[in-house]
Amino acid sequence: MTTTTRSPRPSAARTRAAARPTRRARRPRREPRALPYLLLLPATAVLALVLGYPLTRLGVISFQDYGLRALFTGQVGWAGLANYRAIADDPQLVPVLLRTAGFCAALVAGTLGVGLAVALMMVRLGPAMRRAVTFCLIASWAMPPVAGTLVWQWLFEPVYGVVNWALTQTGLFGDLSQHDWTSSPLSAFALVWLLVVWQSVPFVALTLYAGLSQIPRSYYEAAALDGAGPWRTFRVITLPFLRPILALVTILSVIWDFNVFTQIWILTQGGPNQGTTTLGIWSFTKAFSSDSFGQGAAVAVVSVLLLFGITVVYVRRLVRSGEEL
Amino acid sequence: MTTSPSVRRLLNVTAAGFCLVWIFPVYWMVSTAFKPYGDILRTTPHFLPFPLSLGNFADAVGKPGFLTDLGNSLLVTASVVLLAVVVAFLAAVALTRFRFAGRRTFLITVLVLQMVPLPALVIPLFLGLRSAHLLDSLFGLALTYVAIVLPFTIWTLRGFLHGIPVELEEAAMVDGAGRMTVVRRILLPLVAPGVIATSVFAFITAWNDYLFADVLMKDQGHQTLPVWLVSFSTATGTDYGGLIAASTLSALPVVVFFMVIQRRLVAGMTAGAVKD
Repeated sequence: MTTTTRSPRPSAARTRAAARPTRRARRPRREPRALPYLLLLPATAVLALVLGYPLTRLGVISFQDYGLRALFTGQVGWAGLANYRAIADDPQLVPVLLRTAGFCAALVAGTLGVGLAVALMMVRLGPAMRRAVTFCLIASWAMPPVAGTLVWQWLFEPVYGVVNWALTQTGLFGDLSQHDWTSSPLSAFALVWLLVVWQSVPFVALTLYAGLSQIPRSYYEAAALDGAGPWRTFRVITLPFLRPILALVTILSVIWDFNVFTQIWILTQGGPNQGTTTLGIWSFTKAFSSDSFGQGAAVAVVSVLLLFGITVVYVRRLVRSGEEL
Repeated sequence: MTTSPSVRRLLNVTAAGFCLVWIFPVYWMVSTAFKPYGDILRTTPHFLPFPLSLGNFADAVGKPGFLTDLGNSLLVTASVVLLAVVVAFLAAVALTRFRFAGRRTFLITVLVLQMVPLPALVIPLFLGLRSAHLLDSLFGLALTYVAIVLPFTIWTLRGFLHGIPVELEEAAMVDGAGRMTVVRRILLPLVAPGVIATSVFAFITAWNDYLFADVLMKDQGHQTLPVWLVSFSTATGTDYGGLIAASTLSALPVVVFFMVIQRRLVAGMTAGAVKD
């Protein structure tokens, strides 16, 4: 690039620009200079310091006997595999893993299902109604998670909450005027599920809608001429067009939903009886409630590896598709 | 898309139902916040907040720590947005305008870092900042947020810069513009949508975070608004009026922000991730 040359001679630059046949064929010129490294330095420093170092440290701590004593004396002993062995022997391990996977799957399915339905609905709506839907989506999207969670607590408050009142009014579920949603694991999960889906649908719906609105109308007209029904049209035209965006929102949803912490922590703290304890909550309570940072770190390492395993397929495909990376 | 009138009516009814359900929690928050104190704890809820009252807001703002923590949140968020955008812009320029050894490695590292589950970093960050005596430091917290948002901001800005033809910059340099002039007069205006999208992301990450602020900021008076909100709810038990009013106040900047830039939001969020 000429931006890398200190004082480009006009004629040379012009001929170079003219000689370039297409934008695709353009390649930044290889110039072994310090400038790009200088530009990358701040980003590298921050990433190494605040993501790279802690990530390494996390691995190290998981092999250490890092408890209260270490916290106050600064003397940390090695524990070998003791932390991992303690976790493997913990009767909580299997339920926590199953809970995390199941809850994540339920959230992803709910978010994508509702999001896709809303996006498909939006392309068929008139402009006024579409604007109304967009407005509602943006409003819930903009709610900070903590504020949203506290509002949820208030909506589902056992005695004065409007949800219990409304459900009691319908008469379908009996008298719910005293019902505490956090009293059983299943209904506590339902409470968190509703909240997270409410918060995550806007991104998915608006992104999918943006993708849908880019599909050329003529394709649908051609399909209609050929007598294709709605389901066939969806499968043959909509779905293939939407696939890259669908893959993106799916992988993002998996990452986000796997890591849901704040909402569970505020609403249930992992209870009742650890019934809503997912991997993140488990790691957190092991470290900060039982002061066993070593075991907490080991759980965190497990969750990092799990998530990497899930996402590595996607990243590899993205890296391979992006020749121009 | 062609739709018959009956289908259209069904769609409109569904859409209206969806809107009602989706907006209700927000409506209920605002409406509760403006209700007079005695109207909040009712076994039969009042759906309209009349007569309007500002008592809950006065109650929330008057609580100890609110104004300090609001100030902390503003300070941290503003620093994070500024730092993240500048640092990411420099990195994105390097990644799109130069070809150098290690470029691909850097990009893949950034992509992988984006997949790191953040809750897993809480333990080492807590212990690391503790031994560096940076616990309870707004600077440590802001730096943490900058690192959290950097992978996304670099990736997104890179996507935007990629789409700007280099010929524009070359033409300007031919006309005698210096490098800084090219950045200021050509790159920055063209990449503005990307800067907006990444600023939004940095803004909401820093403004909304609870987990890191809760763990890394232990001192009262050094907390941010989300932590203040949660401690408010546990300390006072059932003062829903003040709590919901404070929640409304914390949501207000974000909602206004989102409404103003809503058009560019989705385009910006996806531009960096989806290949053109």
